[in-house]
Amino acid sequence: MKYKIQVILIATFFLALSVYAWVKPADKISDSELRNLAQFPEVNKEKLLDGSFMSDFESYTLDQFPLREEFRTVKAITSLYVFRQLDNNGIYIEDGYAVKMEYPLNTGNVSYAIGRMQNVYDKFIAGTDAKCYISVIPDKNYFLADEHGALALDYETLFETVQHEAGFAQYIDITDLLNIEDFYCTDTHWNQVHIADVADRLAFGMGAETDNDYTINTVNVPFYGVYYGQAALPMKPDTMQYLTNDAIEAAVVTDNQNGVPMSVYDESKMSTRAPYDLFLGGSLSMITIENPMAATDKELIVFRDSFGSSLVPLLISGYKKITVFDIRYLPGDRIGYFTEFTDQDVLFIYSTSVLNNGNSIK
Amino acid sequence: MLFSSIPFLFYFLPVVLICYFAVPRVAKNVVLFLASLVFYAWGEPRFVIVMLASILIGYLSGIFIEKAKSKNTKKLFLCIGTVLCLAGLAYFKYVDFFITAFNSATKLSVPLLKVALPIGISFYSFQIISYLVDVYRGDTAAQKNFIKLGAYIAMFPQLIAGPIVRYSDIEKQLTDRKQNFEQVAEGIKRFIIGLSKKILIANVLGEFVDKFRAIQEPTVGFYWIYAVVFSLHLYFDFSGYSDMAIGIGKILGFTFPENFNYPFISGSVTEFWRRWHMSLGSWFRDYVYIPLGGNRVSKIKWVRNILIVWALTGFWHGADWTFIIWGLMFALLLMLEKTPFGKLLKKCKPLAHVYLLAAIILSFVIFNANGLGQMAADFKGLFGGAGIPGWNEQTGYYLRSYAVVIAMAAVGATPLPKLLVNKIFKNKENKTVNVIYSVAEVVFVLGLLIVCTSFLVDGSFNPFLYFRF
Repeated sequence: MKYKIQVILIATFFLALSVYAWVKPADKISDSELRNLAQFPEVNKEKLLDGSFMSDFESYTLDQFPLREEFRTVKAITSLYVFRQLDNNGIYIEDGYAVKMEYPLNTGNVSYAIGRMQNVYDKFIAGTDAKCYISVIPDKNYFLADEHGALALDYETLFETVQHEAGFAQYIDITDLLNIEDFYCTDTHWNQVHIADVADRLAFGMGAETDNDYTINTVNVPFYGVYYGQAALPMKPDTMQYLTNDAIEAAVVTDNQNGVPMSVYDESKMSTRAPYDLFLGGSLSMITIENPMAATDKELIVFRDSFGSSLVPLLISGYKKITVFDIRYLPGDRIGYFTEFTDQDVLFIYSTSVLNNGNSIK
Repeated sequence: MLFSSIPFLFYFLPVVLICYFAVPRVAKNVVLFLASLVFYAWGEPRFVIVMLASILIGYLSGIFIEKAKSKNTKKLFLCIGTVLCLAGLAYFKYVDFFITAFNSATKLSVPLLKVALPIGISFYSFQIISYLVDVYRGDTAAQKNFIKLGAYIAMFPQLIAGPIVRYSDIEKQLTDRKQNFEQVAEGIKRFIIGLSKKILIANVLGEFVDKFRAIQEPTVGFYWIYAVVFSLHLYFDFSGYSDMAIGIGKILGFTFPENFNYPFISGSVTEFWRRWHMSLGSWFRDYVYIPLGGNRVSKIKWVRNILIVWALTGFWHGADWTFIIWGLMFALLLMLEKTPFGKLLKKCKPLAHVYLLAAIILSFVIFNANGLGQMAADFKGLFGGAGIPGWNEQTGYYLRSYAVVIAMAAVGATPLPKLLVNKIFKNKENKTVNVIYSVAEVVFVLGLLIVCTSFLVDGSFNPFLYFRF
């Protein structure tokens, strides 16, 4: 009798979960992971014979498994709190912040990234009156790795490498202005509301003056950052905020990649898979921002990654025109087709993560 | 198809079990045979033909051996069947090894054939050979029913990673197997315990091994931790698979032989091989070592027999010189244990355990080396000959991150957990204790199933080590 009950209980659970897996309608996307989920694969003779149907079917069953997010949470909790592993899928939680380990330092990649910037300088800037500046944004590991005992980049060497190899630009250090509270808990990025002082330091370093009379705007949609889904742990969503002043509100922005006007901030992006695209539309290769209220003729050209998208709006008040390039999507060799370097300020600003994986810069 | 995969657990297995239990007894072997072919085809569609050809060779050879009147004719059919099986194994598994060795010896450059290895061919080839030898010896009758023999050879629970089930072990069960709730309950529990060993321990330790191989700044300390972790990883991976195979066998009404019996508690290599991959050890003993004369021969012939058996054991595991060296290392240690050193080990238990663990851990470093170059590099790393530091921050991080799982694996590789459970529930005859025990078992098993599923859903790291054999 005992065995009969045991078999019935376990078999019922097992069968119920199996039937649920068979009949559950397929989801299209994973909101928490910001990616498309695998769909039932096409069945044909070739795919069956070469085995690709089977591997696609396995991906489908993994992506579409019932209660997938809940199961992923069980796994994360088991790894971190039962097995006491220091990270789960390379992500650790410290002081409520989800942090992705970035390790080790790849000086070759950093040098490559600097080399691509040097290429832009040599081809288009050298011999002009444009002044170049460079700055590096530390990632969250910089602040929490020691406390957590996690592996982290050798930041000292990274910063020294940038200063030493980017001789074409004046280095502006912003690390002393930042701490972990300046970043989102569930995302890799910094919170714009906390980086006005960084924008000030950079503007001052480039001889510009910014208007610090900001209004804080709060978006009424919870912000689930990129690490929220990857960590798969119960975390509270962040609150997305952004800053405006008169110059930002009056700015005329053009998405040169698509040749259409756009706005500095687009709250509708919050409901997309990349909420941080709220700032300057996200990963666009070229944007121009004109400031009709400018009290100066100064122009700025910024080479940046996604961190720069939230920083650049805070520099608008200090310039008449800002041109923003992302040379991860637009090869640096082609910059000359889109702008002429004369006497502008030129800022190269990248996060440590992008530099350490520098081969993404073209 | 892997046991530790969502398609197997929640699609294939429930459908097969429903069909298996729904059909009348007479049709169960048909369901089992067809299910096994689907299981095999899932991973290797084109190799189903190789599998069916192997079954046909075994089927016809068995009948011809039995029907042959003279001993010489029987021997001829045995040779034909065995050579055909070994030819398949040699072609698919070893042809490129032989070409490489030939090129190396002759300085020629015969191109490699790059033949893909059919999964489980080492296991089912050995099963067919043992079947033919048993028929030849008259230990068992030839199977006249193709489906029954096919169900035995292709049987999906033990098809791809053993244990190596001999035909004589399950001959009667193929015709008449009894099933009851106790056996099914034990099978389910055994399967989920094996699944947990594979997913929660072996795969996690496997991540550590992968990280070790990927790091750019290894240390002597990291090399040693890797050596220990890989040994535990291999044990939990392979014994977990065997547990799953035995568990599914029980659910289906079969009793497969045990394959592991806490090998790391052994006090000698001789004992270790009585506890590690027992079905392979006994296969080589009964079908190679004893026919060669075993130990009832002159000293020189005995040494020859030991060297042949262990070189073959190593070679069975993989087509590389590292596997042959690995096997021969055991041959030397086994011979060493026949000297006064063996007596010393029996007298001094702590020394015996230290010796055994050191020997096994180092042997698995050879086992996991991808070629002689990596084997040499690994040994240099272990013994400080690679000019690398003793320790660094990275080594400390990974040790701390995996310490709990390593400790769980180390304890789990001993009988301690089983003894502890038996102690807690020692009064199982008491009705209350029995009820608590039964409920605890169900909760524990379901809990493990949920956690295993969560690891499968989350992760993509899931290779079975013994696939390549």
